[in-house]
Amino acid sequence: MTGPILSLRGVSKSFPQGGMLDRLLGRDGRLVALDAVSLDVMRGDVVGIVGESGSGKSTLAGLAVGLVRPTTGDVLLDGQPMAELMRDHAGPWRRRVQMVFQDSSSALNPRKSVARCLGETLALRGVPKAQCESEIAELLTLVGLGPEIGPRLPHELSGGQRQRIGLARALAMKPEVLIADEPVSALDVSLQAQVINLLSRLTRELGLTLLFISHDLALVRTLCSRIVVMRKGLIVEQGPCLDVLDRPQHPYTQALIAAVPKGLAGRRTPLPVRAADAAAIPETREDIHGAA
Amino acid sequence: MSGLAKTLCGLDWSGWLGAGIVGLILLAAIFAPLIAPYDPLGLDIEDRLAAPDMKHWLGTDQGGRDVLSRILFGARASLSVGIGAVLIGALIGVSAGVFAAYKGGLGEQIVMRVVDGVASIPLLVWAIAIVGILGVGPLPVGSLLLPNEVKIVVLVGCLFSPVFARVTYAVAKRIAGADYVRARFLQGASHWQIVIGDVLPNCLSPIIVQGTLLVAIGIVIEASISFVGLGVQPPQPSWGTMLSDARSAIYSGEWWLPAFPGLAISLTVIGFNLLGDAVRDLFDPRSDARTLVA
Repeated sequence: MTGPILSLRGVSKSFPQGGMLDRLLGRDGRLVALDAVSLDVMRGDVVGIVGESGSGKSTLAGLAVGLVRPTTGDVLLDGQPMAELMRDHAGPWRRRVQMVFQDSSSALNPRKSVARCLGETLALRGVPKAQCESEIAELLTLVGLGPEIGPRLPHELSGGQRQRIGLARALAMKPEVLIADEPVSALDVSLQAQVINLLSRLTRELGLTLLFISHDLALVRTLCSRIVVMRKGLIVEQGPCLDVLDRPQHPYTQALIAAVPKGLAGRRTPLPVRAADAAAIPETREDIHGAA
Repeated sequence: MSGLAKTLCGLDWSGWLGAGIVGLILLAAIFAPLIAPYDPLGLDIEDRLAAPDMKHWLGTDQGGRDVLSRILFGARASLSVGIGAVLIGALIGVSAGVFAAYKGGLGEQIVMRVVDGVASIPLLVWAIAIVGILGVGPLPVGSLLLPNEVKIVVLVGCLFSPVFARVTYAVAKRIAGADYVRARFLQGASHWQIVIGDVLPNCLSPIIVQGTLLVAIGIVIEASISFVGLGVQPPQPSWGTMLSDARSAIYSGEWWLPAFPGLAISLTVIGFNLLGDAVRDLFDPRSDARTLVA
């Protein structure tokens, strides 16, 4: 009953590297994107996942949503393994876990109007045609848009509006878990605040569990209840958001926090980790676990 | 299709010129029996090798057949091979391209390597070699007898399919990786729904452009095959056979015999190329962006 809604048990994911010739010649290497990661997400949690580019954040999102199959390990939804829930292509996993994408211009089919995009989603959930119109209006209101936006095509919308439609589309499946992969990093600062407030309100109102993937510590601080810090395919630190951000234990977390300029806590300006800091950060799995 | 209507409105002058030429030739081919002044097969020994005049606008050939009438009827052979081959090629090539792009993995490798293989030999060489092997008679397929013309349409269509496959593959590969396709997948849409509803509609513009340009190539191929005697069989008129028959006339001074069928081929090819280029400019993402911003 009170078990985690989503959990990863020793999940690894590696991708083959190199072309077909390399594979034939046995020169293939594998890129390890995620290395035996375990993570429990409780129902109603808003979890921020932070880390530098290439740290495995997006692979984690793909795994959680079922786009990526783990190389080893298990992903469980409400205690049931992914393999079981996804045996049928349109299985329960599909409805219960949904995703909001980073690039709002690629997230919507340029040839489908907002109403059609949402209508098709509702049809896949099995909503009868007669109810679609009222449900679409409801969804649009939910994300703070008016019904007049229904007939518009994606290119006739602003980036913020598109991102809201992407959110409405995910919510149309009535998911229990929502994965947001850098949902605001392509938006300007004022729109970011709107979308973040919207996400915050929706998670509270709908009792959603949210995995919020970001490289922006300020946003994570305002939105999330828990935080997971990733680096090189490993979770280096996790815990209640404010605890971790105010008293980081791991040197990498400390470096990440130090990289945000003082006095700019509310601004989106994550700077790269300085070379000196980076040198002090443990590189290997053993180092990281030894240090943690 | 409001999209097509909008597209036509955006054509520039050369596009309109191309569309005009193509339209006229299409009309001529369709209404050939109504507008042709004479029977294209009707021999008239009295009037053989007549120079263009008021009675025979484009002159007559060695058998006294009216050149204008033969060109009008010949348009049917040329256009049906050009357009038919493009339709067949699009059907095969687009399916293969979308399949390879969407499926990925081993299927993608196999399909695209076969496409490379077929495309590595020039179209005309393939066409003449295969017709040469099969012969110009009707080809029995099961209980069906395929006339030579149908055989050529199917053959040129198959030879066009790698071009369509590559064009489609390039676009579909990008679209198959787009987030909106992922989103559809996450909602539990079937592969079929995704391909028909999301991937294909977004690949259409380059396919249409390619198709328009390939009609012109199909017409040249039909003329070439007929020229070497493997295509439309005499006495049926075709621009290629007319040119072939006119070879001897080039030196003996009956200039109208090679000139007018040659002109008909050039004009049609230019028409389809102008139209294809104009449509491509319209579908160009940059010109797209311009209209989207406005």
